[in-house]
Amino acid sequence: MDTRHPALAAPTTPGPAAAVVGRDAARARVRRQRRRDRVALAPALAIVVTVFGGALLGALHASVTPLSATASAGATLDSWRALFADPAFLDSIAFTVKLAVVTTLAATGCALAVALMLRSRGTALRALASLPVPVPHLLVAVTAVLWLAPGGLADRILGGLPLELVRDRYGIGIVLVYVYKETPFLVLLLLAAMGRGLAEREEAAAVLGASPAQRLRWVVWPTVRGPLVIGAIVVCAFVLGAFEVPLTVGPNYPLTLAEYASQATQNDVLTGESLAAAALLFTAVIAIALAVIAVRFAKDPQGA
Amino acid sequence: MPDTRLRRSAGVLLAAFFALPLAVLVVRAFADSWRAPALVPQHFGLRGIREAFSGIALDAFANSLVVAVIVTAIAVAVGWPAARVLGERRLRRPGAVFVVLAMPLLVPSYATGNGLTEWLLRLNLADSITGLVLAHLVLVLPYVIVVLLSAFGPRVTVLEDMARSLGLTPLQRWRWVTLPAVAPTLAAATFLGFLVSWSEYGSSLAVGGGRELLPVILLPFVRSDPQIASALALLFLAPAIAALGLAARAARSPL
Repeated sequence: MDTRHPALAAPTTPGPAAAVVGRDAARARVRRQRRRDRVALAPALAIVVTVFGGALLGALHASVTPLSATASAGATLDSWRALFADPAFLDSIAFTVKLAVVTTLAATGCALAVALMLRSRGTALRALASLPVPVPHLLVAVTAVLWLAPGGLADRILGGLPLELVRDRYGIGIVLVYVYKETPFLVLLLLAAMGRGLAEREEAAAVLGASPAQRLRWVVWPTVRGPLVIGAIVVCAFVLGAFEVPLTVGPNYPLTLAEYASQATQNDVLTGESLAAAALLFTAVIAIALAVIAVRFAKDPQGA
Repeated sequence: MPDTRLRRSAGVLLAAFFALPLAVLVVRAFADSWRAPALVPQHFGLRGIREAFSGIALDAFANSLVVAVIVTAIAVAVGWPAARVLGERRLRRPGAVFVVLAMPLLVPSYATGNGLTEWLLRLNLADSITGLVLAHLVLVLPYVIVVLLSAFGPRVTVLEDMARSLGLTPLQRWRWVTLPAVAPTLAAATFLGFLVSWSEYGSSLAVGGGRELLPVILLPFVRSDPQIASALALLFLAPAIAALGLAARAARSPL
């Protein structure tokens, strides 16, 4: 019997005869409640499964039926083959994965540092630090162009920048914009995880003689690892798939995977859509694979 | 106390770090001419603002607003019961539900939009508000549910039980107990939902061919005309700030 269900905790049993009746009534109540729970979840799940599942099927269909193929030819893997034969696509994979990994590591590192600094501070400072969260990515990218582009404000103030930051071929501008935008989001997650209990546990560890480094490793890290990994997965997936930022501050070559897909549709009306769908599906596979790896990493080997 | 001074200067620095970059948007939007070495624009003017409030841009603004409001309303209405079940931990294995909800966030939204276009063309819904709403909804719904579920739990259930024993009808309970109890989280979820839809670029580009949203028309101007881009950026920022204000007000809850 499932003791976790709230409806089962309720029944009282006044006598042995009533106990049987009570148990049956409780079971019926649990069944009713379960049915109601399923009904409550159904619309949300139905929307996601139909629309998102339909979208994936649509993309899969598009990737195997290029408009150039005759209708009678049926499905073909031409687009997939063309994709992996294209050196620009392979460069694009390497570039996008590198950007996503570097951005995620940099943003999580910054967020950890900022959160450790802010957690004993007042709410005003916390509110300030979370200001960029509601600002759209595209806006941050526009601002980055105004400041960091050649001839931009930073260039004018400093009389020249030591290195190219906007539309540079290493994608430094993209990483900067994402780190600026994602760090506060991760800080919010971390501060929520570092509630009151953490300070007390740290104090206890300090009393037992743990050094600051040891406290960070054995007290703080296990507390924040879960939320941090979830946040990192969201950030990484976003960087892999979004393309308004690379389009604004990224180089003309190599392109990110989403940019590659978008350009494919513009370059060739006949095969472009199919090529784009294949490239995007491949990006989705990378994102899911990285998420699975991250979840593995998040699991504590000691089961804590 | 030196500590207060340190704290204050850290606050000022942090505020400057976030406010200064955005302040330049305002200056740039009103700078009719701002050539290279000068730190201050040569001529101020309203060219950018005029363009930003012209036909196409205003249409895009209206489209964005309509889509974001409809999507957020549906997401909250559909997400509420789901968040309640998940928040009260009534499922034996909630993992599967969370995996389904997380999938649209892992897959690039441009991919979702692109795949969806295949269907929308067949259903004669291409370039329609409905298509955009569907494309945004799968992205907004998971965020709304995940934020909203933290509002539900024993705290709310206990309050509702008290209200029931005091003889309140279900509608009265919802209006006077449940809603005020979850108001701050509901405000946060609504705000986040609106923002996700409002800022969404990838699927808006893929689905909204003939019905463009604000971010889609903004981007090309970044290279061609920074003044118009900045003016549009201010237009783009305005509802986000308004929504933040509204959410902050709604978050002040009596319970």
